[in-house]
Amino acid sequence: MVLTDEGEQLRRKSLEFLWMQNRDWVSMAEEGDPLIIEGGKGLRVTDSQGNSWIDVNGGYNSVNVGYGRTEIASAAYDQMVRMPYFPQGTTTVPAIQLGKKLAEITPGDLSRSFPVSGGSEANETALKIARAYHRRRNDDKRYKVVSRKGSYHGTTGGVLWLGSNPAAPRGDFEPEYPGMLYGPQPNSYRCELGGTTPSECAYRCAKSIEELILNNDPDTVAALIAEPIATPLGSPVPGEEYWPMLRDICDRYGIVLIADEVICGFGRTGKMFASEHWGVVPDIMTVAKGIISSYLPLAATVVSERIASQFAGEENYLRHVFTSSGHPVSAAAALKNIEIIEKENLVDNAATVGEYFKNQLMGLKENHKIIGDVRGLGLLLSVELVSDRRTKIGFPKELRVAERLNQKFRENGLIFRVGSEILNIGPPLCITTSEVDEIVSVLDKSLGELSTEVDIK
Amino acid sequence: MVEVPKLAKDISELRYSALNHLWMHNRDWVKTGEDGGPDIVVDGNGIEVTDIEGKTWVDVNGGYSSVNSGYGRTEIANAARAQMEQMQYFPQGTTTAPLIKLAEKIASLSPGDLQRSWPVSGGSEANETALKIAKSYHKRLGDNGRYKIISRRGSYHGATGGVMWLGGGGSSRSDYEPAVPGMIYAPQPNQYRCEFNGRTDEECAIRCAEAVENLILFHGPDTVAAFIAEPVSASSLAAVPGDPYWPMVRDICDKYGILLIADEVITGFGRTGKMFALEHWEIVPDIMTVAKGITSSYLPLAATVSTSRISDVFAGEQNLFRQALTFGGHPVCAASALANIEIIESENLVNNSARTGLYLLNKLKELQENHPIVGDVRGLGLLLGLELVKNRDTKESFTPKSGMSKILNKEFRANGLILFATDKGVSLSPPLCIKRSEVDFIIDGIHKSLSTVEKELSIL
Repeated sequence: MVLTDEGEQLRRKSLEFLWMQNRDWVSMAEEGDPLIIEGGKGLRVTDSQGNSWIDVNGGYNSVNVGYGRTEIASAAYDQMVRMPYFPQGTTTVPAIQLGKKLAEITPGDLSRSFPVSGGSEANETALKIARAYHRRRNDDKRYKVVSRKGSYHGTTGGVLWLGSNPAAPRGDFEPEYPGMLYGPQPNSYRCELGGTTPSECAYRCAKSIEELILNNDPDTVAALIAEPIATPLGSPVPGEEYWPMLRDICDRYGIVLIADEVICGFGRTGKMFASEHWGVVPDIMTVAKGIISSYLPLAATVVSERIASQFAGEENYLRHVFTSSGHPVSAAAALKNIEIIEKENLVDNAATVGEYFKNQLMGLKENHKIIGDVRGLGLLLSVELVSDRRTKIGFPKELRVAERLNQKFRENGLIFRVGSEILNIGPPLCITTSEVDEIVSVLDKSLGELSTEVDIK
Repeated sequence: MVEVPKLAKDISELRYSALNHLWMHNRDWVKTGEDGGPDIVVDGNGIEVTDIEGKTWVDVNGGYSSVNSGYGRTEIANAARAQMEQMQYFPQGTTTAPLIKLAEKIASLSPGDLQRSWPVSGGSEANETALKIAKSYHKRLGDNGRYKIISRRGSYHGATGGVMWLGGGGSSRSDYEPAVPGMIYAPQPNQYRCEFNGRTDEECAIRCAEAVENLILFHGPDTVAAFIAEPVSASSLAAVPGDPYWPMVRDICDKYGILLIADEVITGFGRTGKMFALEHWEIVPDIMTVAKGITSSYLPLAATVSTSRISDVFAGEQNLFRQALTFGGHPVCAASALANIEIIESENLVNNSARTGLYLLNKLKELQENHPIVGDVRGLGLLLGLELVKNRDTKESFTPKSGMSKILNKEFRANGLILFATDKGVSLSPPLCIKRSEVDFIIDGIHKSLSTVEKELSIL
């Protein structure tokens, strides 16, 4: 393929001057990477060589309204021309409107937002609020935080120790933050505690968290943080019992329940917020990504009045500041983004097209023995590959299953990053059933080829 | 478009929403409501902003020491819109044209061989990234025992879980204990209050740098990963270290294999009268973090810039630095940063910062002659500080009980200034496009405010 001079020059410069996520510049150079993305519309993006791609990842599960929404650009522009920025001690009209909007659409008594610029900052803020909350009530011993193996809550110095993911080892950044406790992930396909149905697994996993708390002195535990559905190991939907049990356990031991809706929020799972599937209201909820469909950086920590009221009064305020908190341009863009989600009923579309998508994947499973499990909710879906359905064993490293798939998807016009044998799907919520068919047909073809190559029949 | 309400009834409803649904910085909603707040700003131009009631203010804080090119720069909005209409976002791994151009630009502006940028969305993330790079750098070299980080009392490096334990000395940390393991604290080279009784800038600088070396020797050099510091610390009211300090710190880090991280979040992009403040001492750090002035806060963007010596150990698939941030390298923020840097360069704002900063510093020194509560005046470029004292001989600070900062803040407001005082003093960091006539207006307001404080507290 002939590259335009400018595109090739840019690509070389990117290898020289940029430090990109999860890639290194030597192997990228060898593979002719990186792609330089230049335009987008709906589900599709175009690179500097004119190739069109379907973005099955939806950015980072984050471009909920899809690409090419010029209304959001106009809203951001209008705000930036008028009032580009001001620190959050004073405030601005769009920051207030967004705070009000979040209070309206979040469940229960979640009503006060601390706006920040990304999911990591939102979760850091949640942890700080949880610890400080207990101290304001003179419950001074509480500092431990329960998270779950196979969860992910961010990359900054506090939250990077929450959850765990074998694909992202943490040894580079030791020593670990004190007070981290880890519960099991309620994944009934591979239940750590031997549960054979979603219900049984959910019950055992929730009980196990209670035991963890009891074994570590409940009076020392500040918070429990969890995604309604965790994505790193493939979107396992917990059995119905799980979330109500977590809520009860937190109430019983005076522990703050933090729901990380960074990925799940804003329609991804077919409800505005995934906690709604189980009628559970957390004490603190964090949102990012879909709140603005990634058009600009924005996130928020949304807190119930019960928690926030401990910080009312001049002597009690929370000492915590970020320069870009409540950024008026990001807030104006987020408001427009939420308006699109509501006006176009994208939450309903996530539920209905998500179900269609899942059914198509179930259909694939019938024809491909290599598929061990299909799971997820709304447009947060996963396919787990196995070498043997009975033993659920994966593949030897030397077969390079993820690399093979990445190459096949790329050859077939999909942006669909695969890091392991678990394929995570999170496209824009405006996806149509015919676009689902396109993706599924590439999956069908690619999995067929892969099965032959790794000798699965 | 988000409409700005005009009727008093609608404005008060908006304010009510803010008090009910927003969690703002450094204040609580009950007191804010009692004071008739919060202020809501709706418009800005140059160093001025206008609030929803139509009152105009001079922003001596320059946002959070961050709006370097000033308010009302339509060029930046045009650049953001053009990019957002074309390509809104794409995760790093693939990339986008404005981001590549920004990384190239940062490399060309940065001192020495600083050349590879890890783009993020704010100063906290940039410093977290710097610490993570430093810790894993040593591990890649098989130097596994290094994890401790040296920072300085009175410094500030961010609010997230790792960096919030750096620097400090304030009261806010007990809410969040326990601290991250391995934090070590060195003195701040503030000659006005030198911990080691250095009587001159040079003497204080030398003693504070020697203290860093002693700290390293005490803890065991092969357990220390990095030293992080702002070239001039804004949170220490812009104390400028004596000339020996930075060259000595550079040598000490080299001697013991410790990475030197310069936090230029506030000082970068012209704030101190050079593009980056370490240029004053011709020092090249191993890692430099930038934020704020890089976009003049028009959008959230920051970066961790490393030398090749550091980043090279992460080359090759097996050596990958494992970190991802959704908004890292955002193309719209990158396009805004490019437009902002172009303004800084084409309008020579770095030179203006040096010249007008010196003018402001001299005016503040004149004020000191007439105001006994001004203990010290210091700073570099347009990062300046006033240290306020009860008594110049004893250098005793005001306590919260004295009510000094409350009166002063009220007076600043009455004089149309957005300028925040604590009981320790005031730091000034207006937009770099400030003119001399605007400096005179600010000086007049500060003069009047200090007079009122002195009168009310009977300090003569």
